[in-house]
Amino acid sequence: MFSIQNVSAGYNGVDVIHDINIDVRENENICILGPNGCGKSTLLKAMTGLIGYKGQILLDGVDIATMKRKEIAKNIAMMSQISSIYFSYSVYETVMLGRYNHMKKGFFKEPSQYDKEFVMHCMDIVGVSDIGEKQITELSGGQLQRVFLARTLAQDPRIILLDEPTNHLDLKHQTELMQYLQAWSKQDGHTVIGVMHDINLALQLSDRAVFMSDGKLISDGSMAQTVNGDLMQRVYGMDVVGYMQDSYQMWTEIASDKAKKPRIHRVV
Amino acid sequence: MNQFEKRRHVKRHMLLALMVSVIIVVLAIGLGSVYIPPGDVTNILISKVLHIAPRADIEAVTQSILWKIRVPRALLAFVVGAALAVSGTIMQSVLKNPLASSFTLGVSSGAALGASAVMVFGLYLPVIGVLTLPLVGFLCGLLTVFLAIGFASKLDENMENQTIILVGMVMSLFVNALLTIIVSMSDEHMPEVIYWQMGSFSLKDWSNVIILLPIVIVGTIVTMRYAHELDIMSFGEDHARAMGIEIKHVKLFLIAMAALLTGSAISFVGVIGFIDLISPHFARRIFGSSHKYLVPMSALFGGSLMVISDLIARTIIAPSELPVGAVTALIGAPFFAFVFFSKRKKG
Repeated sequence: MFSIQNVSAGYNGVDVIHDINIDVRENENICILGPNGCGKSTLLKAMTGLIGYKGQILLDGVDIATMKRKEIAKNIAMMSQISSIYFSYSVYETVMLGRYNHMKKGFFKEPSQYDKEFVMHCMDIVGVSDIGEKQITELSGGQLQRVFLARTLAQDPRIILLDEPTNHLDLKHQTELMQYLQAWSKQDGHTVIGVMHDINLALQLSDRAVFMSDGKLISDGSMAQTVNGDLMQRVYGMDVVGYMQDSYQMWTEIASDKAKKPRIHRVV
Repeated sequence: MNQFEKRRHVKRHMLLALMVSVIIVVLAIGLGSVYIPPGDVTNILISKVLHIAPRADIEAVTQSILWKIRVPRALLAFVVGAALAVSGTIMQSVLKNPLASSFTLGVSSGAALGASAVMVFGLYLPVIGVLTLPLVGFLCGLLTVFLAIGFASKLDENMENQTIILVGMVMSLFVNALLTIIVSMSDEHMPEVIYWQMGSFSLKDWSNVIILLPIVIVGTIVTMRYAHELDIMSFGEDHARAMGIEIKHVKLFLIAMAALLTGSAISFVGVIGFIDLISPHFARRIFGSSHKYLVPMSALFGGSLMVISDLIARTIIAPSELPVGAVTALIGAPFFAFVFFSKRKKG
């Protein structure tokens, strides 16, 4: 239903990603992994048509370059990293903006009763319904991240693209968010594609991993198929598996109440 | 407070703001070299609107001063203030810059250049006569903005805000240089041009109100129609695109709307700064950032502030008058500094 074919894209005429091919199926939960600067966020921007691209990005067989922004937004929602907030809105007002494409047509667009209920539902899901009247400039980074996620959900899309969604979130909220997104991706033909840095979280909660390095796709498949020591060494330039094993060992010791002192992990 | 209570609360505040604005206009109409009590002002206004006879003890000369001089002047000040405030609201949200205004993009410089050319070279058109000044001022203001946007889109196909602001500032400086050359060519017209550049509501009559009022009402309503787009755009352009807004078209339309409002307002009364900067800030503090409330409330604040500024301008050194632009700058400049430095402190 969503297919990225031979896509190259970048900024000011210089390609950052090269010849990317990904075929996305319904109900998948895909994570895009790779080191800083490898082109993950650029790929996400191309996927929602925010930047121009060469090649084709097909949604139900239609290139999104030929679609109107409203049509794209009805199908694909993107939650970007938090940027500066110039003017403050209440949490409720911010989430309600997600209903922009669904509001009744008329000279002055007004939210329907359904829009209002849907917004409250989205705020409930991410746990911000109790702060609906607060101004977003008064929120912590984690709360703000959840408000923007609620706004993304309020768009009611089929595909959600997330750019480092767990940034600013504590461990509890990270896990809750990813579990919710995993469950969401299994309903009604939904799909989640997220750029992530936390390999542990990706390993636990994603079905499929796409690894990128230097703007190129170097591996694509299920977590079990793709994640291995050689690939991680190639992508991240360090012994990721060894690092994880050390961490695992530490946690095992902590769990059995034998923790002594922190260790320094080897970086190759 | 739930959403229903909040909306009721906001509507109460809006009603209060409307009442305060009406009181300000009525008081301003009554104050001046001849004092007319608010009761008499109300009585004359009602009698004129409903075509009935006013109270017998109100002299004909008082009625005449009020209806032919004070009312059109106060209404024109209100309408100009509202136009500038709505324009400022659009610019601040579209350019995501709380200190942006139509002046940033060179509307006032363009209008001043056009108006000055008419004054210096005596280019008054035969049929419309003195209306040549506002017409040429408005067209030149609009042309300057379109040139700025045209250059910006050539330099940056996505028309990013920083490109628009930079090109607007460069254009403004360039047009100001042309203006200086034109003015320095004619010593005779220099005082007239300088006075025009400082703005004044002196000697304005109903004809100005009748032309400007529909433009401002339509401009404000159309801007309110774009309230959701303005809300979303104030979060950034990528957010707006991802949420379904054709950013380039909407941005172009809204900037043109802001230029239309500012250009048509200042071409009647000269360049008046700071109202477009201050009013959206006041309105935002009380009513929040949602443009559904912000646009009409900025208009009310802008109108009221302009009426107060004009009242100060015409009474503080009576029987002489100060240019109203000087009064708004006296209030606006410290405010501008306050906003700028308080932002820097926070940042």
